[in-house]
Amino acid sequence: MRVANMVPSMQYQMQQSQQALNTALQQVSTGLRVNQPSDDPTASANMVASLAASAATDQYTSNLTSVTSLMQTADSAISSVVTSLNSTITLGTEGANGTESAANRQALSSQVEGILTDIVAQANTAYQGAYIFGGSATTTPPFVAASTTYTSAQGTAANPLATTTALTAGSITSISDATTGQTMVFKAAAGDTIATLQAAIATAASAGTLSPGTTATINAAGQLSIGTNTDTAGIVVNSNDAALGSMSAASGTAVANAYAYVGNNSVNTVQVGDAMSVATNIPGNQMFTSGPNVIASLNGLITALQSGDTTQMGTATSAVSAALTYVSQQRVPLDNSLSQLNSQETYLGQEKVTLTTYQDSLTGISLAEAATNLSQAELTNNAVLAAAAKSMPQTLLDYLK
Amino acid sequence: MSSLSSSLSIAMQSLNAASGELQLTNSNIANANTPGYTRKVAVLQEAPPTSEGGLSAGNGVVLEGYQSIRDELVQGQIQQETQAQSGANAQLASLQQIQPAFTTSTQDIGTQMSALFASISSLSTNPTGSSARQGVLVAGKNLATAFNTTSNTLTSLQASLNTQVTQDVGQINQLTKQIAALNPQLAEMKANGQDGGTLQDQQDQMVLQLSALTNVAVTQNSSGVTLTTGNGTALVMGSQSFALQTTSGTNGMTQVLDQNGTNITAGLTGGDLGGTIQTRDNSIASLLNQLDTLASQFATAFNAAQAAGTDQNGNTGQNFFTPPTTTAGYAGLMQMAITDPAAIAASSDGSAGSNGNLAAFSNVQSTALPSGSAPGDMYASLVYQVGSLTSNANAESSATTASLLQLNNQLSSTSGVSIDEESANLITYQQAYEAAARVISTIQQLFSVTVSMGTAAAE
Repeated sequence: MRVANMVPSMQYQMQQSQQALNTALQQVSTGLRVNQPSDDPTASANMVASLAASAATDQYTSNLTSVTSLMQTADSAISSVVTSLNSTITLGTEGANGTESAANRQALSSQVEGILTDIVAQANTAYQGAYIFGGSATTTPPFVAASTTYTSAQGTAANPLATTTALTAGSITSISDATTGQTMVFKAAAGDTIATLQAAIATAASAGTLSPGTTATINAAGQLSIGTNTDTAGIVVNSNDAALGSMSAASGTAVANAYAYVGNNSVNTVQVGDAMSVATNIPGNQMFTSGPNVIASLNGLITALQSGDTTQMGTATSAVSAALTYVSQQRVPLDNSLSQLNSQETYLGQEKVTLTTYQDSLTGISLAEAATNLSQAELTNNAVLAAAAKSMPQTLLDYLK
Repeated sequence: MSSLSSSLSIAMQSLNAASGELQLTNSNIANANTPGYTRKVAVLQEAPPTSEGGLSAGNGVVLEGYQSIRDELVQGQIQQETQAQSGANAQLASLQQIQPAFTTSTQDIGTQMSALFASISSLSTNPTGSSARQGVLVAGKNLATAFNTTSNTLTSLQASLNTQVTQDVGQINQLTKQIAALNPQLAEMKANGQDGGTLQDQQDQMVLQLSALTNVAVTQNSSGVTLTTGNGTALVMGSQSFALQTTSGTNGMTQVLDQNGTNITAGLTGGDLGGTIQTRDNSIASLLNQLDTLASQFATAFNAAQAAGTDQNGNTGQNFFTPPTTTAGYAGLMQMAITDPAAIAASSDGSAGSNGNLAAFSNVQSTALPSGSAPGDMYASLVYQVGSLTSNANAESSATTASLLQLNNQLSSTSGVSIDEESANLITYQQAYEAAARVISTIQQLFSVTVSMGTAAAE
């Protein structure tokens, strides 16, 4: 074949070898075989999913850390409650043996009161500003000292509220009863008046949600007054109804050693794996005021110690002991979760390694391979350039003298 | 009758032929690097002999003319391959601009999507934490921005390709006009049995330039070259050229019309114009459509998750992203609809500390959107398409470049100027010229001998 001009072929060869050199250089400097989707479309698409999985794993690990601290806080609160209950049993047993003087029993009762305050403080433990035993109501302390009577901010003698006063639709009024351990939640519908609320309270009182005798009345000052009408049963009332204004405890109506649970039953769960979620809280009513009721049992012991009735003291001590067993039982799932979290942490660490290895295999290149490619590309490029430099300047004219 | 003077005229002819060849060699060397130049050779013929009484004597050489050495077949193949190469290059250039938007970085949609879900997961550990809530808002905003940026990359590229269409059509019209103008002259030369020479080179070169712009079918006949587009629209017939027109389509995209006003946009496939239209109307349009679908369905799913829960103030969740009114263009318009961290509807039971509804957000990640796949998979498919389109265009560009090189070498081996060859020819012609000159000088001496016959000088 007649060759007229070698330059285009040489230029093409140089272009090719320089391109190969550039690719090899890029692979060495980035450590990646795939630097853009066109380098390997399938690997790039798989990479998207794998990176998403990596990001999720990182987040699960971070969730796990904060959930673990939260649960450890809860566990140490419960542990402290268990200790307190144990010493209460000792105190109760001491009181019940019948040889104690009235003054001693009074001292014992004061000690139990102190323990009750401690336990309530533990039940109101907060982690990072959120109360951990309030269900999903984490912004206010779940256990509140109860009073017999709550009155509304709205209403004056001159301009009293009336049973016909309309409530704000959608507003919520809740009454938490320390004695029953239950909460009545009233959500006002359109057209509801104070009379509707009164009827709802009456229904709840007869159903046993609230202590018998709990009523809502308009008092002499023209305010709505919600009360138990007995000085031993305490309630806590909350309302966000603008028509009533905020509800506050009437002064002097506080019931000694009575605490109402104002939290709820919700349990928050947090994902710590693709298929693993853990409950991050135990609602306080489940922990402290249901079943063998912790707070009520202490309250009972205080009353018994003050009364001097040894039989009653014995019964009350057994109740505390039952409460202790119950709390310990409740603690088991929490401890299980903690150990689960521990093994999940190990798993997530492995998962992360697996994902990283996979990502490396998708888009990465080993340094040895990249370096070999580079030196090979360099060699080729040198050869092409040398060949071009040697042959290009040569023409017949060089020899025609 | 042979005579000294007839020998002189033979010598003159050979001088003439040699100098003609020298001029041709000179011209070949001068044009060695001229694109489209075909090497020319001199056509020499033996002059008819004179016979005298049974004796036949040669009458020297006649320079008949010049002949270009062409290979029409290879030339046609080069035109075809040029169309394919320009088309692939046009696509590759655009796709390479798109690629960075779909390459894994800190800003791409995939990363931002993961970051948004991570921020939601983080919020679930502390539903009332204002920094965790702020984190979700920032991640949402970043995702919207990633959609906006990617969409803008695609639409602005589409707009510049649109301008390119108008420019290409302008160039095509100019070239067809010039090609048509050469047709009558070439037809006349052909009719007279002459070689088209330089004019033919020029026309071939312009047809090649036209091939780089669009797919043309080339046929040669007595009235010169006839050019039609791939779908049969006439561009050049004889001395007439037919200009293409452009008009703005309903979607704002420039459409190409033939001289009758028929829309031929879809039929233009090869060359820069074809590649540009292909990228603008197929590749980018399809990517944009999928991106808009992903953005709008994602936003709708997130808004639905918001609506299922209660925000920190106890109200039903409002839209998280601006609700899409139409799918088309949504990726470019996507915005956060809420700015207050408290407006994130994390709660499922109305109390501020609940994280129950965050699962509805997290589910968006793993649940198939109405389009049939989960958001991450949809995005991965986009990445795959961009990668595969680019890598295909790259492969085609490389393949056509290699095959064009091959064809050009083939053509060059027929029509190209070899300096070495011309140098050798130069020497041959130089010697021929010198020999002829020597003949003349010899005859001149003979003449002077003849003229001074019988004079003192001759003695």
